[in-house]
Amino acid sequence: MPEPSPKVVVNEVTVTFESHGRSVTALEGISLQAQVGEFLCIVGPSGSGKSTLLRVLAGLVEPSGGQVRIAAERPGTPLTAMVFQEHALLPWRTVRDNVTFGLENRGVARAEREARAREMLAMVGLTRFARHYPHQLSGGMKQRVGIARALVTDPEVLLMDEPLAALDAQTRTIMQEELLRIWAALGKTVVYVTHSLEEALLLGDRIVLLTARPGRVSQVYPVDLGRPRGLEVRGSPAYGALLEKIWSQLREEVVRAMAEDRGGDA
Amino acid sequence: MKTLGRWLAEHGIAVGSPIVTLCVWEWASATGVLREAFFPRPSTVLAHLVQLGADGTLWAHTAKSLIRIGWAFALSAVFGVGVGLAMGVWRRLRDGLDPVFAVIYPIPSVLFLPLVSFLVPPGEIALVVTTAVTSFFLVAFTTTHGVRQIDRLVVEAAVHYGARGPRLFAAVLLPGALPYIFTGLRLGLGFALIVVVAVEIVSASTGLGALLWLSWGILKVEDMYATFFVIALLGAVLSYGLAALRARLLPWVQDVGAR
Repeated sequence: MPEPSPKVVVNEVTVTFESHGRSVTALEGISLQAQVGEFLCIVGPSGSGKSTLLRVLAGLVEPSGGQVRIAAERPGTPLTAMVFQEHALLPWRTVRDNVTFGLENRGVARAEREARAREMLAMVGLTRFARHYPHQLSGGMKQRVGIARALVTDPEVLLMDEPLAALDAQTRTIMQEELLRIWAALGKTVVYVTHSLEEALLLGDRIVLLTARPGRVSQVYPVDLGRPRGLEVRGSPAYGALLEKIWSQLREEVVRAMAEDRGGDA
Repeated sequence: MKTLGRWLAEHGIAVGSPIVTLCVWEWASATGVLREAFFPRPSTVLAHLVQLGADGTLWAHTAKSLIRIGWAFALSAVFGVGVGLAMGVWRRLRDGLDPVFAVIYPIPSVLFLPLVSFLVPPGEIALVVTTAVTSFFLVAFTTTHGVRQIDRLVVEAAVHYGARGPRLFAAVLLPGALPYIFTGLRLGLGFALIVVVAVEIVSASTGLGALLWLSWGILKVEDMYATFFVIALLGAVLSYGLAALRARLLPWVQDVGAR
């Protein structure tokens, strides 16, 4: 039997920005892989370039060095679709028209894109709000639209940039369960950026820990907590042990990042 | 009855303040606190207004002014939105035009009349173009700012979902700037009214400005006030009309006050 080939391969990716005349290295020599159908979480302190890494995968940022390869299995579908932090919906489009936006740009016929949007809105539980405008929705509902907008394009890989960070704790918990349900139903490969270790442990198959700036891969932790996984996993000893282990490493990076920020101010 | 009460509670001040002002004025003119020769009673002014309307004078002048405002507004809207969008999208154009606009914009519009008369046929066309100048700058400024203030994350998301070039412009940059464009148009329309009256005073024998100035010149003070009233009413109708149009056309705009 042939070895399953990885869905996403990131090879020695480096990103440098020009900022105020200085060159800043956001990512340095990042290499990682995501398998088909894997839920890969990326965790790191602020400024570790987590979002930048996602933007490289999305093709929004050109890496200064290294390559990204995403295995395309189905021609005609986009390689990636991103769920943005703060949702980034188009305020002048209704919920339904936000969801169909990507399909419109790809020239999908109206009847088909509306059928697909209906299906996705049903999946995220927003059927009744199809004609609402984003400003009429709560934070959690907006992010559901963001998820539907990404999934409706049927991407090879779903990218999520701290999608729940702006939500209150209760809504976030509900949305985490929703995400697990949707992921189980669709079997998408997901690359998920978060600053919350608890969230990564609840959602992820593996956790990639990035270092403080410049972002490098510090460690990769498999999350052997079984599936299907629900909130009750937080009570298990294995969860506690893994959290402890990753946190001790992450803590070091966070402290280092804070020290660097103070040094930068001086 | 209850709904009327609630409506009054909310809009009482807006309705009441002009009524109170008129009543005080009526009283002051009637009792001689104000000289009636210069401050005729509102009721007298109203009678003159009715008479001016009945003999057709008022309609002719109002129509003349409205046509001028219409042309000037159309000119400033088309060129203002066009130039403003271009300045919003292309930074080099913005950098080049900004200082030029900053210098020209504060010059009182009426002063452009002689200049404009050298450039375009004097008379009606020069009058309309002069009226359009300040409105053009207002529309261009607000449109440029409208493009610039669009959330960068929204633009990035739109690009990520495949909006490029003309599509990005039509589906993202233009609708994103529209609330500001409407604000600019509303300001521009108001200024078109202000300027057209001024220009008519200076150089026309028709229009509300001319009627006002003529009435003043021959001391028909009541007619002057009647014209004042028409100009004020016109300003309010145009401004609220455009605001209502905006609310209808842009249902997705969330007013800060309604939050």
